[in-house]
Amino acid sequence: MRLSALLALASKVTLPPHYRHGMSRPGTMAAKRRNPPGSRRPPVVVEPISDEDWHLFCGDRVEILEGKDAGKQGKVVQVIRERNWVVLEGLNTHYRYIGRTADFRGTMIPSEAPLLHNQVKLVDPVDRKPTEVEWRFTEAGERVRVSTRSGRIIPKPEFPRADGIIPETWIDGPKDTSVEDALERTYVPRLKTLEEEVMEAMGIQETRRHKKVYWY
Amino acid sequence: MAAARFGVFCRSVSAAVKTARSFLSPQGPAGTGIIHTTLSRKGLEEFFDDPKNWGEEKVKSGAAWTCQQLRNKSNEDLHKLWYVLLKERNMLLTLEQEAKRQILPMPSPERLEKVIESMDALDKVVQEREDALRLLQTGQEKPRPGAWRKDIFGRIIWHKFKQWAIPWHLNKRYNRKRFFAMPYVDQFDRLRLEKHARIQIRKRNLEKKKAKLLQEKFPHLSEAQKSSLA
Repeated sequence: MRLSALLALASKVTLPPHYRHGMSRPGTMAAKRRNPPGSRRPPVVVEPISDEDWHLFCGDRVEILEGKDAGKQGKVVQVIRERNWVVLEGLNTHYRYIGRTADFRGTMIPSEAPLLHNQVKLVDPVDRKPTEVEWRFTEAGERVRVSTRSGRIIPKPEFPRADGIIPETWIDGPKDTSVEDALERTYVPRLKTLEEEVMEAMGIQETRRHKKVYWY
Repeated sequence: MAAARFGVFCRSVSAAVKTARSFLSPQGPAGTGIIHTTLSRKGLEEFFDDPKNWGEEKVKSGAAWTCQQLRNKSNEDLHKLWYVLLKERNMLLTLEQEAKRQILPMPSPERLEKVIESMDALDKVVQEREDALRLLQTGQEKPRPGAWRKDIFGRIIWHKFKQWAIPWHLNKRYNRKRFFAMPYVDQFDRLRLEKHARIQIRKRNLEKKKAKLLQEKFPHLSEAQKSSLA
């Protein structure tokens, strides 16, 4: 058990100090190309925002405040927390060629550039204008984003899961435990260790006497 | 070499499993397992996935067990679940190794991560229950006894106790261990202390420098901190 924990530590991903996070996930070929091992670039200063204070999620409707597409509204498709970046769908694009070969120039596609969190603002669903947002608690005790101008709650948007699963249409496989079985409570607190309880259940009688051992 | 031997092993294993399959009889009266009549009485097919999933690109799998779900289960259930998860983990590890050998991508590697996560959560829950019982019954915080002792290098370490059949004063090997430091070690102890102090001061200075840099770049941070404190 401890050996597997040790191996897990060894296989844990460690990035070099001042690793510059880009649009690609560290570990992919593109990221390895941009940041080869041994590359030392001056570190970027990223404003430290705690997980509680971060208010932009995938699927939100936001408006761009500055830049090429200032004033346009778009949906957030990707959030890169390490750089406080937000990628909008089809906005703030530059053009690049993809699928280039020796004799073919490639197809031109628009590729989105990321925006910092202070260059975008959440859109208030009431009047569809950009607004400042605060984290507040409802009567029920739920922590929600509230627009400071109109006081309306901005709910967390629905965004398809990365693994492609739609919870409503999920059917359990042969190795999956059903919801009732998983949530069923079978624990009865007793003053017995797991070993003792299992021995009781399996009817194992321990007749061996423990020899005196010295601990030092 | 090892790969060739492994391949031969795999082929022989799969051959054994295939011959058993040809004699496959229907499920037993309890509907629990397959009754074997021939070779693979050893249950080696548990190292491999359901034959329907052989050659698939993706295999569907549910979410991992969370700590809170496992805390609601009795000790017998946890005991059984551990072995179910263990067999699944062995199956997935075999699949991973075979995929590496054939230089193919492993179908749905997230299954292995989920199983490992579930097993770690199970171990954590069992540790919690053991800790609670031990604290209640004996008041001991640590499951394994130990003591703070000075080793031969002058460092104060947590020496974990071992189990021995003979008392310490008769133990030749244990008596060769020295839990004291001679006077010539004091100089090195001073140097080690100095090194530790220098590291701490460097860390503190670096943090101050970083805070100053952040303050310059993002002046609103300090106002936000003050307003949150006030």
